[in-house]
Amino acid sequence: MSKSSRRDAALRGARELLPLSPGIFAWGLVTGVAMVKSGLSTLDATILSLLAYAGSAQLAAMPLIATLAPLWLVTLTAIIVNLRFVVYTALLRPHFTHLPTGRRLWLGYIVGDIMFVRFTTLLQQEPNYPHKVAYYTGGALANWVIWQVSSLIGIFAASAIPASWGLELAGTLALVALLVPLCRQWPALAGAIAAAIVAVLANALPLRLGLLCGVIVGIAVALFVDRELRRRGASPEGGS
Amino acid sequence: MTAWLDTIDPYVWLAILGVTAATFITRSSLFVLGARVQFPPMVEAALRFAPACALAAIVAADLVFVDGQLQITASNHKLIAGCIGIVIFSYTRSIIGTIAGGMVAFWLLHFWLPLVASAVERRRPRTCCHQIETIIQR
Repeated sequence: MSKSSRRDAALRGARELLPLSPGIFAWGLVTGVAMVKSGLSTLDATILSLLAYAGSAQLAAMPLIATLAPLWLVTLTAIIVNLRFVVYTALLRPHFTHLPTGRRLWLGYIVGDIMFVRFTTLLQQEPNYPHKVAYYTGGALANWVIWQVSSLIGIFAASAIPASWGLELAGTLALVALLVPLCRQWPALAGAIAAAIVAVLANALPLRLGLLCGVIVGIAVALFVDRELRRRGASPEGGS
Repeated sequence: MTAWLDTIDPYVWLAILGVTAATFITRSSLFVLGARVQFPPMVEAALRFAPACALAAIVAADLVFVDGQLQITASNHKLIAGCIGIVIFSYTRSIIGTIAGGMVAFWLLHFWLPLVASAVERRRPRTCCHQIETIIQR
């Protein structure tokens, strides 16, 4: 494996990500604005963006941080929202096991929704592609750069935007766009509806524990519906 | 939002570290753990459903409370904008369209609708209405 062909693979990974960059850019911009509009200072929002690199988890943690919810709940919420990455990395792992631990640690850190889809698409089309690690690294790094640039623009533009515009709603709408495709199957849809109802009803609980109650009840309902559908031999496909 | 957070607040720093830890725990732990981890089917299903439940709980709590008060009415512009966002995404699958459409709907309801309402109010012949109202009351 020559160095130049690895570099070509990395560039190819970055290039094939570019058509998706407007979406990444808009999402990063909204996250940056919403973090500041929810109460973080410019400096804190910058540090959070650069370190955590997790749009949906940042947006989900913001209302909790703004109401000074306990730190374990903030962390747990971010973990739950990020659980999809456990599924992604379980599927990606066989391709990276030969690498040293430190390398795997940061290859995991730059996993994103879009690069996961791009990488699995590549492996379907070219199962024997020799420079898949370089391809992945190039694309995931491009994603990181686009995300951070747009997020920083959002963070620094936010202070110029009046609070009355209600731009933190854009963060919630971004979560809506992430939520809807997750609810395409009946069990997930039922779980999401149950989680939403319980979270609202239990909102009076201290420390924003209502959210946690909602998630627990939602997962239980989803598992129940999933099992019932399987027991009746019906496919869990469907829903909106 | 209730609290405008202080830059030097150690709570905020720890919260940032917590969210960062969540990133590493969920993304890197399986890569770093050498041995092959096989989840029981139940855990795997729960992992699959958890993000949808968490996002739904957060989105619902964000949308239905206005200044801390439960408000599931047409006067809650956030809620209407969120519902419009769901409809837009279901039909277009566009993240940008969902954010833009939802925000435009919110702004129309929030800024434009009161203007229209007050314009209508001003045009309405008040004296005539008063006369009718007094007649009805009799």
